[in-house]
Order: sequence, then C-alpha cells, then structure tokens
Amino acid sequence: MTVESKELKYVPTTCPYCGVGCALNLVVNNGKVVGVEPNKRSPVNEGKLCPKGMTCWEHVHSPDRLTKPKIKKNGKFVDATWDEAIDLIAKKFKEISDKHGPKALGFQSSCRTVNEDCYALQKFARCAFLTNNVDNCARICHGPSVAGLSLSFGSGAATNPFEDVLNSDLIVMWGSNAFEAHPLAGRRVIQAKKRGIPIIVVDPRYSATARLADDWIQFNPSTHIALANSMMYWIIKEGLENKAFIAERTKGFDDLKAMVEKYADAEEIHGVPLEKVKDLARKYARAKNAVIIYCLGITELTTGTDNVRSMGNLSLLTGNVGRPGVGVNPLRGQNNVQGACDMGAYPNVYSGYQAVAVPENRAKMEKLWFLKEGSLPDWYGSTLTEQINEAGNPVKAMYFMGLNPVVSYPDSNHVMRQLEKLDFCVMQDIFWNESCEYADVVLPGTCFAEKDGTFTSGERRINRVRKAVDGPGEAKYDWEIIAMIAKKLGIKGFDWKTAEDVWDDLRACTPSMFGCTYEKLGKPESVHWPCPAVDHPGTPILHVGKFSAADGKGTMFGLEYREPAEVADAEYPFTLMTGRVIFHYHTRTQTGRAKQLHYEVPESYIQVNTLDAKKLGIKEGEKIKVSSRRGEIETLARISDDVAPGVTYMSMHFHKGANTLTNTALDPLSKMPELKHCAIKIEKIEEAK
Amino acid sequence: MAKKGDMLYAWTNDSALAKKAECGGAVTELLKYALESKAVDAVLAVTRGFDLYDAVPVIVTNPKDLDNCAGSLHCGTLLLSKLVMEYAPQLAGKKVGMVVKGCDMMGLLELEKRKMVNLDNILMIGVNCGGSVSPVAARKMIREKFGVDPDKVTKEEIDKGQFIIEYEGGHKGIKMDDLEDEGYGRRSNCRRCKVKIPRQADLACGNWGVIGDKAGKATFVEVCSDKGAALLTKAIDAKKLSTEPANPKGIEIRAKTEKAMHKLGDKWRQRDFAALAPNLWGTIAEETGRCMKCYACIDNCPVCVTRPDKFEQPDLMVRAGFAPADPMFHLRRFAHISDSCINCGQCEENCPAEIPLALFSHAIRTEADKFFEPKLGKSSYTN
Repeated sequence: MTVESKELKYVPTTCPYCGVGCALNLVVNNGKVVGVEPNKRSPVNEGKLCPKGMTCWEHVHSPDRLTKPKIKKNGKFVDATWDEAIDLIAKKFKEISDKHGPKALGFQSSCRTVNEDCYALQKFARCAFLTNNVDNCARICHGPSVAGLSLSFGSGAATNPFEDVLNSDLIVMWGSNAFEAHPLAGRRVIQAKKRGIPIIVVDPRYSATARLADDWIQFNPSTHIALANSMMYWIIKEGLENKAFIAERTKGFDDLKAMVEKYADAEEIHGVPLEKVKDLARKYARAKNAVIIYCLGITELTTGTDNVRSMGNLSLLTGNVGRPGVGVNPLRGQNNVQGACDMGAYPNVYSGYQAVAVPENRAKMEKLWFLKEGSLPDWYGSTLTEQINEAGNPVKAMYFMGLNPVVSYPDSNHVMRQLEKLDFCVMQDIFWNESCEYADVVLPGTCFAEKDGTFTSGERRINRVRKAVDGPGEAKYDWEIIAMIAKKLGIKGFDWKTAEDVWDDLRACTPSMFGCTYEKLGKPESVHWPCPAVDHPGTPILHVGKFSAADGKGTMFGLEYREPAEVADAEYPFTLMTGRVIFHYHTRTQTGRAKQLHYEVPESYIQVNTLDAKKLGIKEGEKIKVSSRRGEIETLARISDDVAPGVTYMSMHFHKGANTLTNTALDPLSKMPELKHCAIKIEKIEEAK
Repeated sequence: MAKKGDMLYAWTNDSALAKKAECGGAVTELLKYALESKAVDAVLAVTRGFDLYDAVPVIVTNPKDLDNCAGSLHCGTLLLSKLVMEYAPQLAGKKVGMVVKGCDMMGLLELEKRKMVNLDNILMIGVNCGGSVSPVAARKMIREKFGVDPDKVTKEEIDKGQFIIEYEGGHKGIKMDDLEDEGYGRRSNCRRCKVKIPRQADLACGNWGVIGDKAGKATFVEVCSDKGAALLTKAIDAKKLSTEPANPKGIEIRAKTEKAMHKLGDKWRQRDFAALAPNLWGTIAEETGRCMKCYACIDNCPVCVTRPDKFEQPDLMVRAGFAPADPMFHLRRFAHISDSCINCGQCEENCPAEIPLALFSHAIRTEADKFFEPKLGKSSYTN
C-alpha cells in the first residue's frame, strides 16, 4: 500500500481463534486497535467472520493484560525486571537439567501463538537441554489425526482445502460441529447445500450443524468404529468398493474385509438401525466424489487414532482421496495447532515431521543448530499429559507458553495437584489465567495484534499475521523471550532480530516448507505446504497420484471396536460428552473479555435430555450438581432433546466445569486423553446436601 | 461561475495526475484542491491494498497522497458512510471530503436523518456507479469466464454494459448480462440498484456522456449543490481545473445510459422479488435460521443503530447463548430498518451464513415506499 493514515489504518492479518484461518483487517487509530473490518480480498473467508472473529480485537487493550514479568517470592507474586526473570529461569532450568538430566524438564507450546514462537520453543528445549520433552496441545485435540492419517496416508494433515467441498457430490460430517467450531468452514457446507449437494451429519447430538443436514445420523457416543465397520461391511457386500483404486493405490484390504465381517449388524453397539446404516453406506460409496469432514468428536477418545483410521478406511475403500471434491479433512481446532505440529513442537519429530529417531535428521539439526555431533536425543519424549503425570518425578521444571492446563486439560484437580509438585514452573501468557498461580515465574507475551508471524490453518495454508500495535507495558514477542533465555545460557543460534529471521531459520531445516518465503506468504492466497522450492506453487490437494507414504500407497486397517475407558454404570449413570460453543474460544481468556460473547454465554451449562430431566425433577436453568470419579461441580441445566436419554453434553470453556469431571485415560497410539467420554451422575442441589 | 444544475466536462491541469487518473482526473483534483484550500481538513478516500481487487479506505491529509487514490476499483465493495464516525472520532466537527457512490451517499443521508452525522461538514463528491463485483468472485469470474489469470490483470472496467479487463497480452470484454445470467458479475444488490448518478451529493461525476475530442480525457460533472458549485468555481479560478460546457448530445447519452441502467435494475427487481414472493415467510425463516449472531449485518448497516446498553437487557424472545439465533433476532432487525434500507448490500456480502439479507430488506423497503408514508420523512433519493 502506498498511502497510510494514522487515524484509519487497516492492518490485514489472520484471526487468532480457530483453524479456518480467516483474514480480517484490524483497524488502528493512533496506535490503538479500535475495531475489525472485513477483509473481502481473502479467498479463505471473503470478508465474512463469526462472532469471535468480529470481536477478536476487544481484549487487545484490556487493562488486565500482563505487562511485567512476575516472580513468586514467599508465596506472593511480585513485579520483576526482565533481567531478574530471565536470570532466574536460566539458572533454575540449568540447575535442574545438570542435576537430573533432560527428562526432568517439560516444555509445552501453545497452539495459538505464531509458528515462529512454537519453532523457537522447541529449538530452545532441544538446543539448551537436549530434551525431547516438548509437546503442544494438539495432543489433546487432533493428535490422533496426525497419528492416524500418517498411518493411513503417510501424512497427518487434511487432504483437501475447505472450499473444495463445493466440488463434492456428498459431504459427510462426522463428529464435527463446524457451524459452531469452524463457522467459516461451515459456510462452505452451507454454500454446498445451496447448490444441492447433500449433507450427512453423524453426531450423537442434534447440534447446530446437524440442523443443516439432509440426513442426521444419531448414534451412541463414541461408537464410531462399529458404525464405520458396519458401513464398510455393506459396501463390500454389495460390491460398491472401488476395486481399481484399491488394487492400484492401497494395501490392507484383506485385513479390513476380514475385520468388518464381524460388523454386519452392530446396531447393538452404535444404535443406528440397520437400514439406515446400509443407506449411509450406499450413499457414501455411490457418490462420484464424497468428502469426509471430521473433528474432535472422533479424536478426543481412547480410540482416537483408530477412529481416524476408520475414516481413512472408508475413503480408501471407496477411492475418495487424491483429487478435487473428495478427501478426509480434520478441521484443525486452533488458529495454529497445525502450525505448532508443523514446527516440531512434538516429542518425536522436528519441524516438518522429521523423526528424531532417524540419525540423518538428528545430524542435520545438530549441524544447523551448532550442536555437538551425536548430542541430540533419539528417544520419544513425554507428551502433554504425561509431563503432567510425571510432575515431581521425573519432571521437576516445566515451561508453559500460552496454555491454561488447569482449565483445558482433563481432570483439573489432578492437574492442580501435579503442578504443585514441580520445583520450578514458568508460565508465559498474555493474561493471568487460572493456571498462573501454580507458576514460579509468569512472563508477559504479546498477542496476535502485536507481532509479525504466521499461523498455519487446517487446510495447510500458511497465513500472515501482521503487527498492528505495540504490546502493552514490557510485554515482548514470545520468540524473543525464548531467545533471551537461550542467550543467557550461552546457546548459539538465537540471534534473530525479526519474526522473518525465525521463519527463515525454520525454512532452512524444513524441506517441505522451504519454498514458503514471507514474500509468497504475503499474498492473500498464500501457500499450502508442502512447498519445497521457491518457485513451487504449493500443494492444495494431497495424495494426487500417490500417497505420501514411503511406498506411495494408502493403508487400510482392520480395526476392532473398543469401548471408552469409562462408561456409564449404576453409580455414574450418564454419559458426558464435551465440546465447544460458537461464542467462546477455549478457556475464554480472550472471548470472555468481549462484551457480546460474555453476554451470550457467561457461565457453564450442561445439556440434559427432557426425559432425564423429568425423572430427576430438574427444570430449565436450574443449578444442579454434576459429579464424576474425579470431581464435582455445580452448573446450569439446559434441557432439550438435542441429546438422547442417558447422554449429556457440556462445553469445555469454564473453570470448575467440564474438565473437573473428564477422564485422563489415554489412546495408546497418540497419547490423547479421553476428553469426550466419561461417566457422571446428576443430582439436584437440595438432594446432594 | 459554476452554479447548481450546471453540466460540464472537467479535467485537471496537472498533466501527471491526468495520466494516472481516469477520464480527466477531476474528482482527484477537486479533492486535492479542497485539502489545499482548507475547504476540508481531511479526505476519506479509497486506495489499492494488495492489488486491484483489494480496496482499502484511507484518511488523507496530505494532498499529494491523493494521487494514489485516483482511478476506480470495480472490485472494491466498501461502504464508506460510517467509517469516519466509527473509527476516527477526532474528526468529529471537522470538515471531511469523501468520494461517494450512490450507496455511500445514501448511507450518509440516512445517518444525517438520525443526527449521527452533520452533512454541513461533509463534502460529497459523487461518482457514477454501475455496480461492483466482490473481489474473490471477480477473480473467479476472470479465471473461469475470461480464461485469464487474475493476477495478470492490469486494469478492469465496467463500460457500455460490459465487464472489461486489460491484461499482459491483451484485453477482453464480456457482456454483464451474459455473465450475470450464469451467476457471475455484480453483487446482487448492485443489480437491483437504481441510484446510478448520485445527485444528492455536492457534485455528481463520471465518464458517461463524455463524447467528442474530450472522450476519455474529461470527467462529466453535474453540479448538484451550492457547496459543490463553490468548490468547483474556486478550483477553476485557482487554475487547478479546466472546464467546458458538456456537449448536449453527451448529456442526452448520459441520460440514456442512466435510463438503461434503471431498466436493468427494474428487471432484476422483478426477478428477485417475484421469486421471493410466493414463499416469503418460509424463505425468510429458512435462511435466517442459520444465523450465528456475528453482528456483521448490524455493524455494517448504515441504518442499524444499537443501544449502548444492549447487552445489559434481559432476554426474552432472543435468548442469549443460542445459535442459530432465535427468529426475533432478525424480525426485530427488519422492523428497525423498515423503510430505510438503502440496498447497499453490506449485510448480505458480509454474512457468514449466506443469508440474503439485502434481498429481504430491500424488498421490504421497496414495497413500503409504494404504500406508506416514510417514518423519518421522504428521502431526497429514490432507491
């Protein structure tokens, strides 16, 4: 742009909330963000925004912002200088690392901060302490997608762009409430519906998304594998599988076929009438081009990885991968959860999913990061919730960047108990949240409006984030804070002056993103990775011609249905499912500070079926007690038939809410905790007394 | 001495600007002069953002900067009416110059009716508008119908019923009618619009009716107010602008063009409203039943005025925390807008749930105008 005005400056940037990656203009007047205006030029959302995007500016100048480092002294937090804080952190981490080794430290990266911040954190953990105990919150979100799709296709990311559903003949949304959780991806489904493309929504709940469906398949919570296997049994039985595709491009069909033989009629498990299963199977198999959009409904379970592979199975069986209008698309949750994984903030891979177990990868990083040959570790580090479990022994020090584990991780009470056991804990954030009191040092970072950088959306598009205003007080760029600590420890390779420097550092060690220069990313269309060369146009659709796996083939798996770790029983007779509402983002540090959003949903509620409510004598809006084996809470009852009898639903946004109840049991393949299924009991408050 | 009602050809005497600007550069020259002579303290103009599909508003105080705002962007779909009021309160009470399409102008007139803007402080330089195309839709159209890479386009234009592009290696024009019959082309509200020459501005400028040796080199200016006449006279006296009376044949052609556009607008109204009529309630219920309460329609609408304490009110028919929004969310909004919809299309273009809001509100107004006395008094424009 050639003209700029101080009173009305439009800064084109990317929304900080969900993984759709909508563009918007922050409006700046004399150094302050005063609003959001549409960015109609962007192909992602064409100027349109959901209620969160519209109000994403309101928290930027909140007086609650963290502005100075804080150190806990004698149980109280006092303001400190950056020097004091950095000195202390460097000293304590080094002490603990020297005494107890690399497995005594834990680093957890946000999936809301820019790629540059995530890359910096994992590089720091690895360079300064030779540890692989680095993880990000994809672990409790789409970790199973990364794991599952890697196994099925060779690459763990969405196969097709959001807009591509307009090229489909059938859209299946499985465990996705896109209307609320990814509204501008949901918009693509709305556009598809207007063009007459049929929409099938598979969800135990009559969600806002289910209301858009031509067919809503209600099934028993968490029985995805049984339902998918049953569908596949009938697809094969009626000869509707894509034989050519299976022969040319896949392996594992025999395993799959053998397994699904047992699922001819699994209604007892999944609750869907047989005729409906057959109908769904035929529709999916017969569609010329069918796409599966899925989300946390299938991942946040102990069978998360297998659930994802089931989607892989369905698409491979019917040849629905590797061209426009088809695919298997996980709707990545946070604005940069795709990015945090891409940056290697993971315990077993570096950036671009280069495995730490491969000696050539370690050698390359050692060289680029100025480390001694052979020094980088090859072991699989501790994951997000494993680090929490290991707090005290062996993990003694932890560094949390942009996270609120007490509210967003399963089993809040357990998280709080564990954090108490740490010798030293750093929390870096833009607001004081419910987890900060467990830290020894709290550092003020900068929000999306106050930094340059990139977010990678769920369609692998890398979108620019542009600095609109300075951060408050003494807040610093998050990557800059990390670099300061690294330099204090005398670690080489952290002399970055700008966000672009950090990005170019990342590019130098990541072949799949080498071609993604800031210049190319600066275009509204930007680039979808993989983009290995500067003159490469990027890759909107994956697995065209061949799969990303080493042998170029997609793999089908015979998967056995397993029950969730904790199911309803006599003592805890209701099933609790969890999810999100359109008005809030995660623990509400930001959305809770937007007037409209706080007005819409100011407190927690639980959806209870009308028959259940009647039996319990509960009225709409009544405060009730809900408990699980892990804790108890009070919340408001919202009564409807959106949930089936015996099933309940809560959003995860509130402290002393859903996650006080949820289960930490893990999916063995992806270490994902079972956030979306546990057993609860409901009582009226007078009774409980 | 120019006076109200005059119709002139005007062109800038600045040869560099003449090259940069379109058709004589009179609009840019007048705004520059307005700044230089302190007739205004600032100008709200539009400039190119990332490329020619990206229109960005700017507040300009340095006259030289206006050179970068010269020309037209048919793929820019901004509405300027509320911007200064909303985002630049420090300009309250100051004099601001603005380039206004019909919709920008109507928005300001409606804001004035509600005492939210003082038009004495606003200099409106109106520009003819045959309609605009949303940027991403335009790129798609150029790729799919013109067969050209939209990144290679250097100029775009809507002229004589055609969408015309110039690109590296050629130029191509396709009839708007043909494009729109296939679902491409202008925004749907633009197709119904009948405020093509903004005569309620201070000056109405454009290139319709500029014929003879001045074709392509002069701007047609219709003087619509005393304020406009005064500015024009001073600019001529200061030797910034040259003028000559408009060619009478040109005046006729301009009137014919306007009439043709009105006829086109009538055709689209007939089409859009007739399609809506048979199942009006059902269609409104179905479409608004996807609303996610983003408030884009309310925020962008020049006639929606919300209470500052709206979030402190107890809810009854519009329950807090429910999406899709309860039906009353939209019914009360239609009632509020009632006979004031200017059909600017912002509500519809910005709606993430693809609700055809402008269609509904414009239909309501169009029908109301035929039958009822307007609530806030008769508008000076007809849309």
